[in-house]
Amino acid sequence: MAVIHVPRPSKKKAMNPNRPVSSLLLTQVSHLQHAERRLPLRYRTEIYTHAIRTEGEAAAYIREVTEAIREAHANAAARRTGTRRGRRGLQIAAAAAKSKRKPARKKTVKSAKKKGPKKRK
Amino acid sequence: MSTGLDQLQHIVVLMMENRSFDHMLGSLKAVDSRIDGVTDQLSNPDTAGASVKPQALAEFQGQLDPDPDHHFPAVDLQIFGGNAAADRQPNMQGFVKSYFNQRGDVQHSQKIMYYFKQADLPVLTTLALEFAVFNRWFASIPGPTICNRAFAHYGTSFGRVDMSPFDVIEPYKSIYTRLINANPKHTAKVYYYDTTSSTMEVVNLLQNQPELFGTYEQFLSDCDKGLLPDYSFIEPNYNDHETDSGEQVANDQHPDHDVQAGELFIAEVYMRIKRNPKLWANTALLIVYDEHGGIYDHVVPPPCVPDNFTASANNTGTGREFKFDRLGVRVPAILVSPWIPKNTVVTDRVFDHASIPGTITKFFLGDYAARSPREINADVFIEPKASPRPGSNLLSLNAMRTDCPEFDV
Repeated sequence: MAVIHVPRPSKKKAMNPNRPVSSLLLTQVSHLQHAERRLPLRYRTEIYTHAIRTEGEAAAYIREVTEAIREAHANAAARRTGTRRGRRGLQIAAAAAKSKRKPARKKTVKSAKKKGPKKRK
Repeated sequence: MSTGLDQLQHIVVLMMENRSFDHMLGSLKAVDSRIDGVTDQLSNPDTAGASVKPQALAEFQGQLDPDPDHHFPAVDLQIFGGNAAADRQPNMQGFVKSYFNQRGDVQHSQKIMYYFKQADLPVLTTLALEFAVFNRWFASIPGPTICNRAFAHYGTSFGRVDMSPFDVIEPYKSIYTRLINANPKHTAKVYYYDTTSSTMEVVNLLQNQPELFGTYEQFLSDCDKGLLPDYSFIEPNYNDHETDSGEQVANDQHPDHDVQAGELFIAEVYMRIKRNPKLWANTALLIVYDEHGGIYDHVVPPPCVPDNFTASANNTGTGREFKFDRLGVRVPAILVSPWIPKNTVVTDRVFDHASIPGTITKFFLGDYAARSPREINADVFIEPKASPRPGSNLLSLNAMRTDCPEFDV
């Protein structure tokens, strides 16, 4: 059978992080905010979600909280198992938390937007 | 005699966003009359009294703005045409009226009837014609995303018909928990696109069991290395964003995201499985949409067994309570495997997203009592190996096909 060509969308046309945020993404943001409120303080973003207007701003918040949830669980698991790697991870995470999260800094949505996934240990 | 069902080890579900059957696959009626797509007998009235027929004028992006309403009251209007009588019957006559309510523009409201030409969607239409397409796969609820996706994960939405966070109520467990707690153990994973797209099942799965999640990049790697779990659920990219590897265009096909980006994504998932010959031989891929997104479909959603929950009149927003006793609007669903006869059309059997945990549970675990009434009564799209029902096994070939399509991705 012949190989079927799949047309590629024009990224220039399709890509628009400034598109007004959809109700689906706002729902996802509100669910993540619900989860964020249960995180220990040092993992919280302090992004003001009511100011989110665009898809790109929603994306920045979604990444921050998703990574924070994963990090909080990973650190808890490392403490639980007490593995060597876990302890080292915990130390690095603690150091990162110290430098990045204390004192808690207020972020605007724009300042939270960065290129690429944030490196977390 | 041995069939493809005996070879099956992995089931993958890819759930896209917000497109109806007629909108995506309606054009195929002209190619194969068994496919219940669009005909010129169909229409909806607009608010000026004109009859609006479906037309093959759908565009990839920029046409459905604002996002068509698909919350419970709007879908009620779409299905019942605005009839509020106690003895009303569903007629699928309220789609144009519903879309008119959002912008007050008669001409624009007619676009809700548009559908794609076959040639516009080479991936979805090819897979539908090459493998098994379902004529009667419906959203689980006549409502929006979160509660419909809940049915795919839990077999119930725990009484929710809206987008609010919900709590898992015992004894019902997610399909993932059922599998990983089973004896013998099974493996399961939810692959979200990346952390910037994340998941739509935040409050229970991500918050409490983040170890269940992997990224799309991991899915690709797991396919190559033969490390795919028994059950995989894939979520598309829900937003436009940038990463170190470049711009990531949303590929979920949710209006107003580019439909071609979703086509490319579906083709990539399919080809990644196909390129590993061992995996291709023992994997089935279901491509399905969470709900219709407010877009026209002509098939009346059938009544179904009520769930153990009732949504109050206040929660539905219609002035009527809802006992989860009617399915939502029909969505595209395609089952892919080299063991499925070419051009299979599943014509009359009714499915909804409760069929997903229903199928996975029966296939991997067999009997499992603690499931919702909706899930227990949902049909399965893959038969259990031990007791396939005669005539219901879609992976029925006893020799693997070698003529399956390939895409240039």
